[in-house]
Amino acid sequence: MGMTAVEKILARASGKDTVKPGDIIYPKPDFILVHDGLVSPSKEQLDNLGITRVHDPDKLIFVTDHEVIQLSERSIERIQKNREAAKAWGVKRFYDAGQGGHGHLFPMERGIVTPGTFYFDNDRHCTSVGGIGAIGFRVGAEIITVLATGTVWTKVPSTLRVSLKGTLPKGVYARDIGFYLASGLKDGGFLQAEMDYRVLEFAGDLEQFSLSERVALTNSPTEVRAYAVFVPPSEEIIAYAEERAEHPFEPVYSDKDAEFDGDIEINISGLEPQIAVTGSPANSVNLSEVAGTPIQHAFIGSCGSGMWDDLVTAAKLLEGKHLAPGVRMFVVPGTEDSLKRLTAEGLMGILLDAGVFVLPAGCGLCSSNPLGPLQDGEASISTASANERGRFRGSRDADMYLGSPATVAASAINGKITDPRDLL
Amino acid sequence: MADDFQWRLRGTCHKFGDNVPHLDGVVPEWLVNGRYFDPKDIIPELFEMIRPGFHKEAKDGDIIVTGKNFGMGPKMNGYIGMHALGMGLLCESMPFLAYRAALGCGLRVLDGCQDITTMVEQGDEIEADFATGEFINHSKKTDHLFQPIPESLREMVALGGSQGWLKQWWEDQN
Repeated sequence: MGMTAVEKILARASGKDTVKPGDIIYPKPDFILVHDGLVSPSKEQLDNLGITRVHDPDKLIFVTDHEVIQLSERSIERIQKNREAAKAWGVKRFYDAGQGGHGHLFPMERGIVTPGTFYFDNDRHCTSVGGIGAIGFRVGAEIITVLATGTVWTKVPSTLRVSLKGTLPKGVYARDIGFYLASGLKDGGFLQAEMDYRVLEFAGDLEQFSLSERVALTNSPTEVRAYAVFVPPSEEIIAYAEERAEHPFEPVYSDKDAEFDGDIEINISGLEPQIAVTGSPANSVNLSEVAGTPIQHAFIGSCGSGMWDDLVTAAKLLEGKHLAPGVRMFVVPGTEDSLKRLTAEGLMGILLDAGVFVLPAGCGLCSSNPLGPLQDGEASISTASANERGRFRGSRDADMYLGSPATVAASAINGKITDPRDLL
Repeated sequence: MADDFQWRLRGTCHKFGDNVPHLDGVVPEWLVNGRYFDPKDIIPELFEMIRPGFHKEAKDGDIIVTGKNFGMGPKMNGYIGMHALGMGLLCESMPFLAYRAALGCGLRVLDGCQDITTMVEQGDEIEADFATGEFINHSKKTDHLFQPIPESLREMVALGGSQGWLKQWWEDQN
């Protein structure tokens, strides 16, 4: 019996010929990534246990993406302690505020994450790297065990395969597929699949998807408990990775005789733009059902839609136009490299002329920094990864819609939820 | 491993149904989001929202028995409270990250105890061995064998969870 791609990656990382779902293994990651919220708390916890060194400082990457701008005494103190922790542990790859950007995205652009990479992360949206054919496993607070020992017990998850058939119509994007899929995969959803601690592997007509679209595919399934998402890398993706890889890599694919824990096929040819209504990315409806709903707030960014191509999609719609009166819009490039590119390629001017705020690279509003909160009775449309009431540190009496970057841009121009195909 | 660790518990059954969430089920939301990890703060709130007075009834050796999908969410606060009370947990199912959080707190827990809610009533005297999977309902004079805690994870549980395990690991290194 063959193995799935994720089983192969885990077998390699744990020095075994084969692994199977349910096995308990101790994989050695290619690196360990800790986001700003958990660097100094981890240091504090290990200090309290008397543990004075980390397993391998050269394997550690500390990123500053959740609170790029420190807006409270607590966060000012935390980032300073993060700097001290990096220094005390000898961590060279410490990306301070304004360096790198979103920890789920810039490592792909910089060639740190390549097809076949395996790493541990404290944050669940490390699923994003499935877009390039890599795997990140979220271990939450147990990141301290990984920091100290270099690994942590890991149960090999089973894999559900989702085949996308057909060609996505113009004006409909990978993020729309994600919302649609999440609504089918949620508990009691129409696909009747149990996602708890499972890997979702995409298959089918994937050649049409660029890296940003592959990353977008991974985002919403994460919100319905997919533990990892894997998109087998195309030749285009491998070429992209080869251009920037900081180490040799080997793309990994599922064996033909791999055992999947379920197979689902979805035809995407007739898919309409989707809107996830307040509460969950899995609350997906056809855009036409909520078209015309007034919005006052818009945001493009996050680990689901913060790649370069997402910014280009939005800028194309906004070119020569202006936000509707009464609408404020925030664009947050995922990475510092994209931010520079906005200027170099003239897109910054388009966004600013349209009346958009461009904020520093990172998670932006999505990490619940009070960068752009909502007031009572307002409505937001965004590409955030989640949309529970009160997100963005705003009113719980505000509506939180999600859509693709194109839908968000079109809606901000019209001041109401708008089908991007009307403006293309 | 701590050789004298008590893998076998015998006490009163505290029975719950399906889909008890961690947040606003096992413990209130404010306790989780306020990052309260001290058992002194957690114990008075344990199951208080769905079974007022639970902490007054609960005692060392008692076992919580639940239906499916127990403890939704990766948070650990409630398990810290159960562990501090000396209790164990038997579930028909719990999300993997919840199971992981419970073991990481050193809680004796068996996941995947199929149909166990049909084998017990609230208040029964029950016994479970978490290292062998043996289960006895003394009130009903029945028994059953479930999957035990995986052998490779028992050392962590016996040492009080992942922090206890790390402390021991560090001592062994130096």
